[in-house]
Formats: sequence, C-alpha cells, structure tokens
Amino acid sequence: MSTIAPARVVLEAAGIRKQFPGVVALDDVSLRLRSGEIQALVGENGAGKSTLIKILTGVYQPDAGSVTIDGAPVRFGSARDALKAGISVVHQEHNLIPQFTVAENILLERIPTRLPQLVDYAAIYREARPWMKTVGLDMPATRSVSALSAAQMQLVEIAKALSLQARILLLDEPTAAITPHETGYLFRVLRELRAQGVAVVFVSHKLEEVFELADRVTVLRDGRNTALDHEIKGLTQDQMVTYMIGRSDVLAQLPARPARGEPVLEVRDLATEAGARGITFSLHRGEILGLYGLVGAGRTELAKAIIGELKVTGGDVLVRGRSARIRDLRDALARHRIGYVSENRKEEGLILLHSVLTNMSITIWRRLRLFGQWIRRSSETAAVMPLVKQLDVRAHSLAQQVGTLSGGNQQKVSLGKWLAADVEILIIDEPTIGIDIKTKNALHELIWNLAANGKAIMVISSDMPEIVRLADRILIMRNHRLVGDISNSHDYEEVSAAIMSRLS
Amino acid sequence: MSATRTVAVRTRLTELRGTGLLRTLGLLALLIITAGFWIFFSAFATGFTSDFNLFFLLRSAAIAVTIGFAQMVVLSIGDMNLSVGAIGGATGMFAGWLMQVLGVPPALAVLLALALGTSLGFGNAALVVWTHLNSFIVTLATASLITGGMLILTRARPFSNLPDSFLGIAQIELGGVPVAPLVLIMLGVALVLGLVYRSTSLGREMLAIGANRQAARMSGLAVGRIVLVAHGLSGLLAALAGAMSVAANNTASPGIGSDWVLASFVAPAIGGTLLSGGLVSVSGTVLGGLLVATISSGLLLMNVSNFWLSVFLGAVLLLAVGLDRITRTVGGAAS
Repeated sequence: MSTIAPARVVLEAAGIRKQFPGVVALDDVSLRLRSGEIQALVGENGAGKSTLIKILTGVYQPDAGSVTIDGAPVRFGSARDALKAGISVVHQEHNLIPQFTVAENILLERIPTRLPQLVDYAAIYREARPWMKTVGLDMPATRSVSALSAAQMQLVEIAKALSLQARILLLDEPTAAITPHETGYLFRVLRELRAQGVAVVFVSHKLEEVFELADRVTVLRDGRNTALDHEIKGLTQDQMVTYMIGRSDVLAQLPARPARGEPVLEVRDLATEAGARGITFSLHRGEILGLYGLVGAGRTELAKAIIGELKVTGGDVLVRGRSARIRDLRDALARHRIGYVSENRKEEGLILLHSVLTNMSITIWRRLRLFGQWIRRSSETAAVMPLVKQLDVRAHSLAQQVGTLSGGNQQKVSLGKWLAADVEILIIDEPTIGIDIKTKNALHELIWNLAANGKAIMVISSDMPEIVRLADRILIMRNHRLVGDISNSHDYEEVSAAIMSRLS
Repeated sequence: MSATRTVAVRTRLTELRGTGLLRTLGLLALLIITAGFWIFFSAFATGFTSDFNLFFLLRSAAIAVTIGFAQMVVLSIGDMNLSVGAIGGATGMFAGWLMQVLGVPPALAVLLALALGTSLGFGNAALVVWTHLNSFIVTLATASLITGGMLILTRARPFSNLPDSFLGIAQIELGGVPVAPLVLIMLGVALVLGLVYRSTSLGREMLAIGANRQAARMSGLAVGRIVLVAHGLSGLLAALAGAMSVAANNTASPGIGSDWVLASFVAPAIGGTLLSGGLVSVSGTVLGGLLVATISSGLLLMNVSNFWLSVFLGAVLLLAVGLDRITRTVGGAAS
C-alpha cells in the first residue's frame, strides 16, 4: 500500500442509459475513474447523480451502456456483486446499526467467529482497530455507534468500506450534514486514502469543496454529461456553474406579482424539542418566503414543529393574528387551513399503492361526505379533475396508481391534495427534488401563481437557484438557528453570495 | 434490452391493477378454481351434491367468510388480529350463558355478545394505539387473556340448552328444502362491507392508513380513531361469527374459535386482500371462504385425512404472502 500506483483507469462507465416510467434519468452518461484520484461528481438535484451511483453499485441495472473494472466488463446483479468487485458506497443516510459497537459495525459483514458460531470479540476489536486508525477514529472500539456524531459515523462507514478491500469509494454528499471543521478532517482522511491508491468519487453540491478536494470533475445536467473527467486545475467556479445549470436552461424571470398582504403566520421566539431556538419570522398573504439551509440545518424539523408534528417547547405561533396551539397536521388543516408538502413524497407525501384520485381527494373526504359517511364518486371526481388539469398531471386515468407515475407527476399530486383542500398557508419542503427541469419550471410557475392569488407560501429548499428564483424574502437557517433574513433581489450572483456569507 | 422490457411489463401490470382489471381477472380465476373443485368433488366425492351436504357446506362457508371478514378489516389498516378466535369463542359462550342461565331473549343475548366483541376489539385498539406496540404481539397476548378469562369464568362447561328460537337462525326450511339463514347474514355483511370500502369515508381512510400510515397522518387523517374503529369492527365481526357458530353447533362450547386464526388469514389472502394493508377484496374473501369450505367438505367425504387441509391452508397462506410482496414491490417500483 505504500507505493503510489501510476494513474490507471480502474472504473469506467460508458454510454449509460437508465429509464424509469415516464422519465429518462440517464442518457449516454460516462464516468472515468483512476486509482489514487478523487473525482468529483456534481450536478443539481435530479441531474442523475444518485442514479449513476446506484448503477455503479449494482442497485440498478443500466438499460444500455457498459461498466468496466480494470478494463474487464462487469455486470452487477446486486449491491453484493459490486461490493465483491471492490466498490463501496457511503450514503448520506448511514447504514450502520446504532446499537452495535464501532468495531462490530466495521466488521459486520464478516464477524470473526471461533468454533461453531461463537463471536470472537477479541478478534473483532483487534481487527477493527487498524481500520479505525486509518480513518483517524480515535475512540474505544467498544463504543456504541448511537453515541457518535454524524461525522464520526461517516468515518465508521469509510472504515467499514476499506475493511471490505474497497479500491473504489463512492461518497454521496459526505459533507451535507457535518460541520466545516469535521469536513476539513474528512478531507485529510480522503487525501490519505488517495495517496494509498484508493479511487474516490465525491458527490457534492458545494463547489468550494469540489475545488478544494477533487483532482477531476464529471458534471451531469438533466441526465447527461456536460463535463466528463475534466481537470479541476484551470476551471473556474463560473465555468462549473455553467456546466451544472447551463445558460440555455437558466429559467426565465417570473412576472411581477401583487404586493403582499397582511401577515397570516407569525412565529415568535419559537423553541422546539428538535433543537431550534429563538426562531422569529412572519409569513404574509401573497408572499413566497424562502427557507434556505443545508441538509441537517433543521428546516424540516422547524416546519414540522409549526404544523404540530414535532414538539414546541417555547415561544408562540400565531395564525391570522391569534395564538394557535396546533396539535397535529389534522388540526393544522381543519382549524387553521395550513398544508404541508413533505420533502419525502414516497413515505410521507403519497400513498403509492392508491390512485391519483384517492391521493388528491384524501384531504377533502371529510368535506365531501354525505349522511356522515357517504362519498359520491362523481363529486369526488368533480373536485379533483380541475386540479389534475391545472397541474397538468400526466396520468392515463384518475384510477392510475400513483406509484407508477414519474417523479414530477407524483410531486404534482402531492401538491394537488393541498390545493383540493384550498389551504391558505402552504409549506412546501423541497418542491422540486429529483425533478426534471421542465416540470421544475412548471412547478415554480404554479407556486408563483398560488402566491399571486393570495396564498401564503413558505418554500424550503437547499437548491439555491430555486430559492433565488422563487422567494420574495429568504430566511437562512444554520444549526437550528435563523442566521439571516434577506430581501431577494433575484440577482443570483449577489443573493447567492449574501447567503453563502451567512453560512460560513 | 431485457431489463427495459421487464420494467415495461411491470408498469403495464400495475396500470392494469390500477384500473381494477387485474383484480377482476384474479377474482375470475378464483371463481374458476372454486368451480373446478365443485365439479371434481361432484364426480368423485359421494354425497357431495346432496341437499344435506350442500346445506352444511354453505353454512360452514358462511362462518368461514365472516371470520375472514373479521381479519380483513384489520388487515385493511395494515394491522392484524390474532384474537379473532378468542373473541368469537368468548362472546359465543357469553351469549350461551345469557340465554341458558339468565333466560335473556336470543335477540338481546346476541346483541350483547356483539357489544362485548366490539369492546374487546376496542380494547385491542387502545393497547395498540397507546403502547405503540405491534398489533401482532398485542392481540397474541389479548387472545390468551380473553380465552383464559372465559375458561376461568365458565369452568369450560358448554351451554347446550339453548332456546329453539335461537337455533332456528341456523336452519329454516323453505318448501321442504333446508336453507341456511347464516348464509344470508354473511351476504348481508358482505354487502355492507363492500359499500364501506367502496363508497364511505371510513373505508377510504382505513385503506389509506393501511397503505401508508405516515402519509395518511400527514394528509390530516385521524389515524388513532380509524385504528380504533377497525379493531372494534373486527371484534364485532368475530363475535358475529361466534354467535353463528353457536347456532350451527346447537351449543356454546369453549372450543369455538380455537382453530380460527389461520383460516381467518387464508380467506382474505386467497381473495386478493393485501396482508400488508391498503387493499381489500370483499368478494374475494367470500370466494376464499367458500373455496376453503368446499375443499374441507370434499376431502371429508373422500375420507382424506383432515391433516391435508392443514397442509393446504399453510401452503395457500405462504403463496398469498409471496404475491403480496410482489404487489407491494411493483406498486412502489417506479422511482
């Protein structure tokens, strides 16, 4: 491991195509990776990075194209195959067992045993320690993973990957949920691994990090390569943004809207069990309020506290001027006419097994029913059909299962149920995550028009161009505190710089 | 490429299911299979088509279907109820005691037994909602509690001097042909449940929380209340099946319900109800119960050991669980 191997291509993906019902996620995408190199993989949300990672790790099979390792074509049937070939992935969500110790987690796939089936604990701790040392985890191997920070868990995952003889390490947004200090430490570890000949793919949204860490970069936009294996040296941040967003795709400025009305949602000095403190802001009729922050800043938790789904420990929430003790989302909807579009549409937003009709009318069943219980199909259809047309939901019938729709259409349904309920205040958490640019634009226009028609809208997003395009004002959240409240001039360079300055 | 084709075929299948066609085909297949067994047994099982046998077959099918309904309503919310048999047995004994010992008129006794069943179901729900424990373990425990309590209170003595006016609901004669009113009761229940799931807010809500509890909650549904109603309904239907069994056996015996749990899953599972929740088929459960009763009766007449029925039920349940998984995966496959 001490010799520095010459830059040799260890992994190559060429002409990869992957299609899901209704959407082409990857079209003729390539990636080239050498040993002892850190390759950044960048692109906006929905550009296809995750899909590519899933193909490289055997979770998905490509519809076309080839993957070669050390020049030999491979075809992974499962994640296990990829692991055997020396490819390991460290996800944003940790795949660790919190109740187990650090050492047990590192060696989870092959717990050493003594005769028949007894776990050899001495061996576990002995074998795990060198790997812990490699990634600089300075703690007892017997510590429970549940006691670790997000950054430490990441190091455990890297140690685990290395212990599995990984030669190729894929890191999916490793810095999204950790502090700048921890990021610096992670980078040292990654550089160390590079020196030992490991090939690293580094997925990140943060361009400064890409410039700081990576040797080369591959950029995806809308499922296509806009830059392939490009050397970082000599590349400017502007050029990179052009690759990512593409001048031609820069979305047009939205038309003027009437001025905002009176405040409808006022949050005063709110403290929550999730850790937020001193949160104060107000949301007005006809306004789009942006809430920007990195993953882990506590934005979703704040939204959930406002709608009563997470505990509030102090402060006050006023709806239309009156103090509102919102118990849960049901209460928020029925009493205060507040809706919440979840960032997690598969688990919280939609019932994938059920029809478009059911998913959109679920919020108004109570209103539709006759004689206490009866729901007439005709009145249900009459309530939903205009919204399906307005939102341009592409389904062959109202009876189509939502799970079979494309991501963009699913998102429209997820939003549509709140329009059916005719809420006045709508909190939209990551409105366009994983959605193609055309649908994204349509959703932006829709949100814009809702505000023009007097709805009060709060948009939570970690997509800076989106927030700059949509929001009238931008709240910036960091580590469960509001660290900025800026009026949006819609000038991307200026506003993004202002936001970044408050995040560092 | 083959991967593309698989995706296309899967999508196509789910689209069909979305429009209900696939489910209709499934029901049709079940109908054909049931008819096949009827033809087979008519030819090879002596006495299968006698009025006497058909009467008993339909009556036991009616009870099997009702037991299946008791399970189906909790399956619809993604829960299960392992205490259906315990509730059916205990409420049956309660009705017997009311009629024989206290001389309560049969209609009132049955009503009280149904009320008891409903409250036992509510009890299950309360435990599930408050403790946040899995309904499997909660109802496994309450099943033992209920049966134990019943055996202690009744000292396991059956009540066999039941009034004729009660036993009459198990058999009446129309123009010399015996018919089973229990079948009519079951069909009435089926009709009501069909309407509940098709056209009521409650039915929609049960299916929604069964398919995705968190999403249903985040759409403003009162999950706790719906869980309560579903378990109460399950208790009510289990008690109804208990009363039907007592009428069919002429006796309230403590053994009623002891062999219901497996059968309660099989009837809905064969009929296309998802064991993981969110999708039910009332007519499928009717056909499923009928199929099980048919095979049980036919095997009996052909002198095939009852053990084979047990093997059959186990195999069918496993098959249904497998199909369940496929349906779920396909439903959530598009990403």
